Amino acid sequence: MKSIFIAFDQAYYERIVDMLEKSNCRGFTAWQEVQGRGSKSGEPHYGSHAWPSMASAIITFVEDHRVDAVLDALHAMDVETPKLGLRAFVWDVERSI
Amino acid sequence: MSIYSSAVKRPIMTTLCFVAVTIMGLFSLSKLPIDLLPDIETNTIMVMTSYQGASAQDIEQNITRPLENTLNSVEHLKHISSNSRENISIITLEFEFGYDIDDLTNDVRDKLDMVSSYLPDGSENPIIFKFSTDMIPIMMLSAQAEESMPGLYKILDEAVANPLARVDGVGSVSISGAPKREIHIYIDPVRLEAYNLTVEGIAGLIAAENRNIPGGSFDIGSDTYSLRVQGEFDSPLQMKDIVVGSYNGRNIYLHDVARIDDSLEERAQKTVTNGNKGAMIVIQKQSGANSVEISNKILEMLPDLQKRLPSDVKLDMIVNSSENITRTIDSLVETVLYALLFVMLVVFCFLGRWRATMIICITIPISLIASFIYLAMTGTSLNIISLSSLSISIGMVVDDAIVVLENVTTHIERGSDPKQAAIHGTNEVGISVIASTLTLIAVFFPLTLVTGMTGVLFKQLGWMVTIMMIISTTCALSLTPMLCSQLLRKNIKHGKLYTIFFTPIQKGLDAIDRGYGRMLNWVVTHKVKTIVSCTVIFLASIFLLRFVGSEFFPTQDSGRMSVSLELPIGTRVEIADEVAGRIANEWAEKFPEIKVLNYTTGQASSDNTFASMQNNGSHIISMNISLHDLEDRERGIVEIADLMRESLKNYPEIKKQKVNVGGGGMGGQSSIDFEVYGYDFAETDSVAQQLKRVLNNIKGTADVIISRSDYQPEYQVDFDREKLAIYGLNLQTAATYLRNRINGSIASRYREEGEEYDIKVMYAPENRTSIADIENILIYSNTGKAVRVKDVGKVVERFSPPTIERKDRERIITVSTVVSGVPMSDVVTAAQAEIDKMEIPTGINVEISGSYEDQQEAFGDLLLLGLLIILLVYIVMAAQFESLAYPGIIMTSLPFAFTGVFLLLFLTGHNLNVMSMIGAIMLIGIVVKNGIVLIDYISLNRERGMSIRTAVVNGGESRLRPIVMTALTTILGMVPMAVSSGQGAEMWQPMGVAVIGGLTFSTLLTLFFVPAMYCLFAAVGIKRTRKQLRKINK
Repeated sequence: MKSIFIAFDQAYYERIVDMLEKSNCRGFTAWQEVQGRGSKSGEPHYGSHAWPSMASAIITFVEDHRVDAVLDALHAMDVETPKLGLRAFVWDVERSI
Repeated sequence: MSIYSSAVKRPIMTTLCFVAVTIMGLFSLSKLPIDLLPDIETNTIMVMTSYQGASAQDIEQNITRPLENTLNSVEHLKHISSNSRENISIITLEFEFGYDIDDLTNDVRDKLDMVSSYLPDGSENPIIFKFSTDMIPIMMLSAQAEESMPGLYKILDEAVANPLARVDGVGSVSISGAPKREIHIYIDPVRLEAYNLTVEGIAGLIAAENRNIPGGSFDIGSDTYSLRVQGEFDSPLQMKDIVVGSYNGRNIYLHDVARIDDSLEERAQKTVTNGNKGAMIVIQKQSGANSVEISNKILEMLPDLQKRLPSDVKLDMIVNSSENITRTIDSLVETVLYALLFVMLVVFCFLGRWRATMIICITIPISLIASFIYLAMTGTSLNIISLSSLSISIGMVVDDAIVVLENVTTHIERGSDPKQAAIHGTNEVGISVIASTLTLIAVFFPLTLVTGMTGVLFKQLGWMVTIMMIISTTCALSLTPMLCSQLLRKNIKHGKLYTIFFTPIQKGLDAIDRGYGRMLNWVVTHKVKTIVSCTVIFLASIFLLRFVGSEFFPTQDSGRMSVSLELPIGTRVEIADEVAGRIANEWAEKFPEIKVLNYTTGQASSDNTFASMQNNGSHIISMNISLHDLEDRERGIVEIADLMRESLKNYPEIKKQKVNVGGGGMGGQSSIDFEVYGYDFAETDSVAQQLKRVLNNIKGTADVIISRSDYQPEYQVDFDREKLAIYGLNLQTAATYLRNRINGSIASRYREEGEEYDIKVMYAPENRTSIADIENILIYSNTGKAVRVKDVGKVVERFSPPTIERKDRERIITVSTVVSGVPMSDVVTAAQAEIDKMEIPTGINVEISGSYEDQQEAFGDLLLLGLLIILLVYIVMAAQFESLAYPGIIMTSLPFAFTGVFLLLFLTGHNLNVMSMIGAIMLIGIVVKNGIVLIDYISLNRERGMSIRTAVVNGGESRLRPIVMTALTTILGMVPMAVSSGQGAEMWQPMGVAVIGGLTFSTLLTLFFVPAMYCLFAAVGIKRTRKQLRKINK
């Protein structure tokens, strides 16, 4: 099992949930409105007067063999609309119940 | 869930909600009556008290003053004025606008109950009479006749007046100019004297002969019969053979002493229309009824009525007030449609996409149509004010939708899915959209709170615009995102046509952006220069104010005029007739613009409601003139009125003249009343005369009239009571003898076909033409002894004192003048200077009222309102920016709006009036919107970390387009109003001109002044923060 943390512009939300569904990843946890800023580039997502846009975040736990497919799909989305902003991070799950 | 996300997620519900609103609006529209102006509630009550036999001064002292003193304490009273003349006192109470007249009437009645016991015993109870705009006739018809002239009254009464009176909403129908049939017994006094007969005796005999008397019933065999004597005359000629007495054993018949004249009333009004004699039918509406509806019904009936009339009687329209209303409203509707077209074109040019244009423009009809629901619910009409509100709003209702659409488009361009973009894009700008609507509501809502006459008019404007703004914002936050999510596409492919058409536009706009950016760069480095030069422009414009005249309301060319001419008091009606005929002929030749010219002369009979309310008398000529349609003539109504006044100068017999443009109601030429207060008749008279001379010399005055009428010459018979007593007579008997011979006594009534006609016994006309005729009248005592008037009294010529006028419990003379060709303020200033030079006796003071007073009041109200609005707008902005300085900076653009208003009014030759003032007040809201957009974006740039200068230049460059676009939609929305030339355009032109001038000028200057001010303030702010930081560090 691996966990994938995806932080992205709100507009992606439905597409990502849809994609996870199609990739047979049933379980996920989402935060509809979170704030944040990319490490290198991209507009900050603060929901403030200066930076009104907001981000969402999803964390999902998937079998190891699905990770690549999900990340590839996410990357494709990001390349298609780079201005929105989408990042995903994968790390190991040591134990779960 | 927010309104926009549910709207985007449920497109069917959203669409149908707005469809439902639209259907309701259209349904309301179909039910809306049409009128010129909103219902102006009546605000005048008259109290009439008669006290037979009292002179004007007695009436003033014993009736008018006690009543005035009591009535003065009625609430909401504005002015109390009175007329005290012989036998009657008329008090007019003028109340503030906007109060329920029924409540006021009750208050007046209560006060009258309190005071009535203090009135003299002989006086009658005061009568309350409500005056209203409904009394102004809505339609006047002329009936021209030849052979049928003698019977015209009856024909018209039966075939026209009665059917018309049955029309729903018609109040009263009166016929003037068609004298009623009357049978005169013209007595020859010499013969009467020879046979020892009296007028009274003959009258009594005629009454006794003209009788039907039931004789009871009696039985014959098995039947009961009734017995009757049918003595009434079958024909007036039968009276000829009545035996009126006997002399030397011979019967004297009526024809021996009198001639029977079966004709028309002697003193009747005469009406001439376009040179043909005939009658005038005046139609008044019931209070609250709609003039246009009634006129339409009447117009439908007319052909039918015409068929019922004899072939020589022709009905024609003299005045149809609804025609002006319909034409005015039609031309305003056209203006509104043009505005709609212009706004759509601007939006299309700036956005360059038809889908986006459609999304935005759909908010216009929805907000406009929805406002009709408000009109229908409050029971008001479609009028100039409500339609102007539509025209004003067209440019503003799109603003919110544009802001939302722009942001959604940005999101889509960044890569969002249209649905997501619609929700998030709207979410981001929702607050600022609501805030900018609030600033506009802060401007328009206070309009609903104005009191007075202007308040009545602009209450509707305030409500309409407020409602349209709220609806458009709702639309922008629900319908617009929904439509964006459905209609906007991610990747737009443009066609060839688009490239050909829009590439130059885009290039042009880009160039303007860059040019503005460069200029801003200069501005931020030369702040002080910019601010100083802008301030100089503003100060220079204040000097311009001196050249812009002011007035109350613009004069409207309604194609209707009324002219009232007075010959010297007591002039015979035949002379008035002849003068009127000459004037009518001259004008008909001189002014081909005249469609109908109708005039009335003579005294109205007392049973004619309309005529008896107007000033009438044998020396008065009143004319009604209808001009051809505006498009079919070159000269305007004011020019024609001036030429008419000029031509009246050639008639020295005319003593007073008044050429009235508009024929009553709003939109006439302004008038100024100079009120001379003072107790002494002679002193006030001389001041009034002096004032009249002064006014006549001032440019722009016309029809200067002194209200106090001249002393009226009359003959009075002074009976010597002692001599009367010797003959066993009293004064009343003697006076009645006089009256019966000159005025005549109604002996009986002649009946024919169900109609009754008076039989009047009097001296033949040729026997009452000199003082000798009166002196020779014989009066018989109870003992049958005869004595001549000259033996018991003297006939003397006297002057009866004029009516005593009072206002606010002081005696007054009004010198009134019509303002023609120059602004009202010019005349007032010139007159005031002259009045200051005049030597006015102590105890007399001169005040200015009339339209001028209304104007001063309205301007005062509007200025106060302007201040209130500025304060409210500041509060809204300060709340939005959470800052006290930013709103201040934005507000600095306001003076330039007023500069623009004055400048354009000056250039186009318009005056400052209530309409242009309203335009200027609206500007407060529209102008600050530009500033908000600019400052908001600059401060956003600062928050994103830019330096002040970069923030200003970048913000200016990127906000130029939205600012220019919203300004252009509003300006172009007003252009049709400002340039329209249709009927009634004079009313709304000043408003359009004011908004266009103010907005253009302020937008141009705001683009430089506000950034410069911002730089200045922001620099100060930064210095202050640095200082504080240094302190903390130490």
